[in-house]
Amino acid sequence: MIMPLIKGLQITISHMFKKPVTLQYPTERPDVKPGFRGLHTLNVSHDKAKCVACYLCPTVCPAKCITVEAGEDQNHDKYAAKYEIDMLRCIFCGYCVEACPVDAIRMTEQFELANYSRADFTYTKERLLEKK
Amino acid sequence: MVNLTIDGKQVAVEKDATIYDAAKACGIKIPILCHDKKLHPFGGCRMCLVEVEQMKGRLIPSCTTPVTEGMIVQTTTDEIVKARKLVLELLLLKHPIDCPVCDAAGDCDLQNLTYEYKVNMNRFVDEKFNHEIDYENPLIERDMNRCIHCGKCARICDEIVSYGAYTFINRGIEAKMGTEFDGPLNCEFCGSCVSVCPVGALNSRPFKFKARWWALQKTKSVCSYCGTGCQLTLGSKDGKVLTTIYDENQGFHNGQLCTRGRFGYQFVNSEKRLTAPLIRKNGKLQEATWEEALAEVTSRLSAGKSDPASVAALATPRLTNEELFLFEKLFRGTVGTDNIDHSAGYAHEALTKGAKASFGVTASPAEIADVQKSNLLLVVKSDAYETHPVIGFEINLGVKRKGIALRIVSDKKGKLTRLPGAKTTVHAPGSEIALFNALCKSVIDQGLAAEGVAGLDALKAAVADATAEKAGVTAEEIAAIAKDFASAEKALIILPIGQGYPGHNAALANAAANLAILTGQVGKEGAGLLIMSEKNNSQGAVDMGIYPKGTGLNAQAIIDGCANGNVKTLFVAGENPVVSYPNRAKVEKALENVEFMVVSELFLTETAAMADVVLPACSFAEKSGTFTSLGRRVQNVRKAIPAVGLAKSDFDILNALSQALGGARYNNQGEVFTEIAANVPAYKGLTQAGLKDEGAVYPVTLAAKLVPAAAKASAPAAGKLALVTGSALYHCGTMSRFGEGPMYVCPDAYAELNVADAAALKVAEGDQVTVTSGTGAVQVAAKVGKRVPQGVVFSPYHFGEGSVNTITDGSEVTYVTVAKK
Ligand code: SF4
Ligand code: SF4
Ligand code: SF4
Repeated sequence: MIMPLIKGLQITISHMFKKPVTLQYPTERPDVKPGFRGLHTLNVSHDKAKCVACYLCPTVCPAKCITVEAGEDQNHDKYAAKYEIDMLRCIFCGYCVEACPVDAIRMTEQFELANYSRADFTYTKERLLEKK
Repeated sequence: MVNLTIDGKQVAVEKDATIYDAAKACGIKIPILCHDKKLHPFGGCRMCLVEVEQMKGRLIPSCTTPVTEGMIVQTTTDEIVKARKLVLELLLLKHPIDCPVCDAAGDCDLQNLTYEYKVNMNRFVDEKFNHEIDYENPLIERDMNRCIHCGKCARICDEIVSYGAYTFINRGIEAKMGTEFDGPLNCEFCGSCVSVCPVGALNSRPFKFKARWWALQKTKSVCSYCGTGCQLTLGSKDGKVLTTIYDENQGFHNGQLCTRGRFGYQFVNSEKRLTAPLIRKNGKLQEATWEEALAEVTSRLSAGKSDPASVAALATPRLTNEELFLFEKLFRGTVGTDNIDHSAGYAHEALTKGAKASFGVTASPAEIADVQKSNLLLVVKSDAYETHPVIGFEINLGVKRKGIALRIVSDKKGKLTRLPGAKTTVHAPGSEIALFNALCKSVIDQGLAAEGVAGLDALKAAVADATAEKAGVTAEEIAAIAKDFASAEKALIILPIGQGYPGHNAALANAAANLAILTGQVGKEGAGLLIMSEKNNSQGAVDMGIYPKGTGLNAQAIIDGCANGNVKTLFVAGENPVVSYPNRAKVEKALENVEFMVVSELFLTETAAMADVVLPACSFAEKSGTFTSLGRRVQNVRKAIPAVGLAKSDFDILNALSQALGGARYNNQGEVFTEIAANVPAYKGLTQAGLKDEGAVYPVTLAAKLVPAAAKASAPAAGKLALVTGSALYHCGTMSRFGEGPMYVCPDAYAELNVADAAALKVAEGDQVTVTSGTGAVQVAAKVGKRVPQGVVFSPYHFGEGSVNTITDGSEVTYVTVAKK
């Protein structure tokens, strides 16, 4: 009866002498490690999104949160006329990045995604485009 | 039968089978890129290599090697896999590998095999092709950089379609699948080449970038255009039909479709679809709720119950059997009127009166399968190809592969007349009955009549004065056809009917039937008479009794009744009389005059625009049910997408009206089919589930008898041209106008003239001409060629603008003058 109690206290006391893990966010910023899976971004090359609207990311996405609609540009090439991610459903698994055959989508270190309305969680192509 | 062993399995196959066929028969899949079961073996891709014990030392292409007794075949050994990998590496050497943007991805044989054989590197390097891509074609996009030279497109276009749009140009690594002078593709646009292309070299342009193959929901259904009743698979996504998908195992036609079936589906999701009911208020059609609209129709119909003769109803044969049955039950039963009809009243007469009198049934004695089983085909009008293109493919195949003799009697030439060995007799326009009577007389005179045919004397007397001259042909031609027909082991007459062919009426069906009966060409397979009804469910409309049976008015009389005030309430389910019935001005006046007209339609057609209430209806893709094709095959139609907007199927509309009027109410269309099976004798024993994918041909018991048919004396008017109407290859009825595909290729009404007539009138191709008859005048574009003989003009009837019914009055031939505008 008494032994477990002592054991518990031991652990508690030991923590008093350790460096606290709590981060004083937002004054203190976390050190985001490489490979972190944050907000998506659509890579840009030659002033255009690299995405070719192949629909592999919406196909692989387990949360079904990516909507792509293909269009045909002046050169008859395929591009994403619509590219949207519903961030409320995204589970940040990174499968989309893995599936993309043309390195068009990446995940950034951006993790501060809080917002005020549901609509704000719909990331349109415009919002996702890489800011250079 | 030949016995052989494949991968240790014993198989017995026909002696003309190849190793590939034998493997397929016992469930062993050999990879292949250049093979289609409908085409002759080609042996081009070298993927199907196998090892044969008796031919050791080299690998054998299984698709071109016939089986021999005792063969021992291995389909996968290390050596074979190595060889196949090499083949794939070589194919991928020039291939752009742009799968992410290629619409074939997911349905690409090359992609699948590359994956299966794990070809993830290439030992060879070379530059890719840099062929120009044809982006201009509205239906078929050709990217020859992706081509793997399997030759399937060229072979299907040649062997089955008989058009021959493609051929290889250049040799070796330079080889390319080219078109005439490497120019733009200008063909029938049936899309057969697109359907067989194993990669994304040929793509459907209307489907370009619309969806990935794996995201499509695939629904097996039946084409809603002509009476051939081709089965097709609709590819839909998010409530929209986006494409038709090729399935080589569908239907008698093995997945072949014509341009309408393949590229004409866009009407389903057209912007122009009606999405809410409309009621005429203050002279204008305005949106209303279903309750309002149905209440209005109900009150009119229930008022009509006390005077049923003042109510009339027209239905389109595009509805399902279930809907037509309900339609008949509602109007003939609940409302109590016999004034019901479809297809202008004459486009089904060959069945309801003609076949009924000659064979005792209201259906064709022959079925589609008989075409290929015959020894001689006698086609009435070369237009049979235009009206029923996939039956045209069957004729092509029969003639070219099986050596079936082909005789055509027509008022113009056409594609069929160019088939090898085809003999065409061009007769005077409108003289088909005279021609068949002359044939019968010739059969009798030559002593070729079958023994003991009842009614021979009456027929003899009736055709006593029939001469070849009356049909504008020579006596030798008649004698030759009569002889060939009578002496063929199995001879089949093919007779297309439809709204464009007012002359193909009951009398012509009798005259044609007489020839078949007289020569003993009935009651056996591959012989008899195949009456090709026009629309997807024309046969069903006849079976469901959508025509006046007693003293009721037929379609023409209903129009007259509307004009003279005898018909006060007209219910139109999907018909468009303003464009498709003869004499447009008369029809328009009549429909303006009728007190109350309800139209249930997909679009605000010329007829719907005149209605008092318009009910938005569903297309074939939005409902389930059955269609009966011209060969008496009852087939399942399956719902692929939800209804567009607020549209309701005609089934739901009629069901609601029936209930409101105190008639029956059904829970679903399946219940109606059960009732059909119980009430329509021919459908006895059928169930929707039992129809499965392939459908069922209902049997007929023939009571053949000779029915003399009187030929009308045609009176050519001096100085005038004979106008004959009909179908254009790209259209069927007036609905195909709402599909982008057909409209890209054939957007406007035209009049086709002979070069000599055109020269005399100083008319060139594309000129606007005014065609004037005793009924009216119409302006259309001129088309000049050698297809129609001198003195004849042809014009298709599908179009609203410049509609040919402005100048026709329902007679076989209309005499017109043509003048350059
Ligand atoms: S996988 Fe890449 S190229 Fe394909 S749709 Fe997604 S982001 Fe675009
Ligand atoms: S275009 Fe397609 S079907 Fe034609 S040869 Fe090339 S790969 Fe074969
Ligand atoms: S229109 Fe007729 S021939 Fe063409 S695909 Fe449809 S059913 Fe077949």
